[in-house]
Amino acid sequence: MPDWREKVRELLGAGSLPPENREEVILELAAHLEETYEDGRAGGLTEQAAVERALQEVEDWHILSAHISRARSEEDPMNDRTRNLWLPAMVSLLGASVLLMTLQRVGFQPRLVWIGRMAMLFYWPWLAGLPVFGAFGAYLSQRAQGPVRARLAAALCPVLVLLITLCLILPWALAIDGFSALRLAYFGLAVANWVAIPGLALLLGALPFLREAGVREA
Amino acid sequence: MSKRIRSKIARGSGELAILALLAEQPLYGFEISKQIGERTGGALKFTLASLYPLLYDMEKRGWLEGRWQANHAGRDRRYYRLTLAGRRQLAPLRQEWRTFFQALDSLAGVSHA
Repeated sequence: MPDWREKVRELLGAGSLPPENREEVILELAAHLEETYEDGRAGGLTEQAAVERALQEVEDWHILSAHISRARSEEDPMNDRTRNLWLPAMVSLLGASVLLMTLQRVGFQPRLVWIGRMAMLFYWPWLAGLPVFGAFGAYLSQRAQGPVRARLAAALCPVLVLLITLCLILPWALAIDGFSALRLAYFGLAVANWVAIPGLALLLGALPFLREAGVREA
Repeated sequence: MSKRIRSKIARGSGELAILALLAEQPLYGFEISKQIGERTGGALKFTLASLYPLLYDMEKRGWLEGRWQANHAGRDRRYYRLTLAGRRQLAPLRQEWRTFFQALDSLAGVSHA
């Protein structure tokens, strides 16, 4: 019976395996080949045939070495969370922000809706465009096998950022200008204006991608 | 069907097979490949070259945890067990494949073929 550890070491060559994992990988692969060989022998194969059968487990050792190296490397340029949450969230945030900035840059006048002494601003083209970005964020997350909550978070990222900003501003505003019921009402209105309504628009676009889908790659 | 799609299907089915098997008990590589072969009547087959990159990748993603321990014959083997994250992957993966096969069945009648 060959020395499987030496055999694997020789076949893997210098390769690209990370040095800190190399010996462990060699041990594990050698153990697998050894058991494949013993299985073959127990099944009635000659020693030569059992060795050949074991070695047929790998067609190309260089390719295997590269695959293992990639799989065991600690450096993952893009982990699952980046793929299924941060990147899709950035796309929907960027899309929604650029659209709003463009509308403001070209001088689009928002529609003012007065509620008593307070006004709500409606950028209709922006609200109409938000479902597209919500859909895009949720779709990208779904494509990266994101769970439903990641798809939802990716789609709603633009309004979540606005909500966090408003929540950060509120205590400062109250501390500087003093507490008043009117200020709280303004805050509520701002939440409705910049979070709730745009959030509904984003959600509308994301809905088709929030169901548990079938095998997406197939 | 393109090579890329075939490879993605193979990889997805491999992940599900490994997760389902390890949900029952911790196993080491050779046992995983042997049990998958036996329990699928040889329809699914993992060679060393296809199994270990997948195991290492699933381990990196935090679905599996590998630990050296002696097997029944007293030899050190790297046993894989499911982590909590791996266990959480199992139900949605099963559902995805169920939906996939139902869709394929309604399209091509595979279960009656």
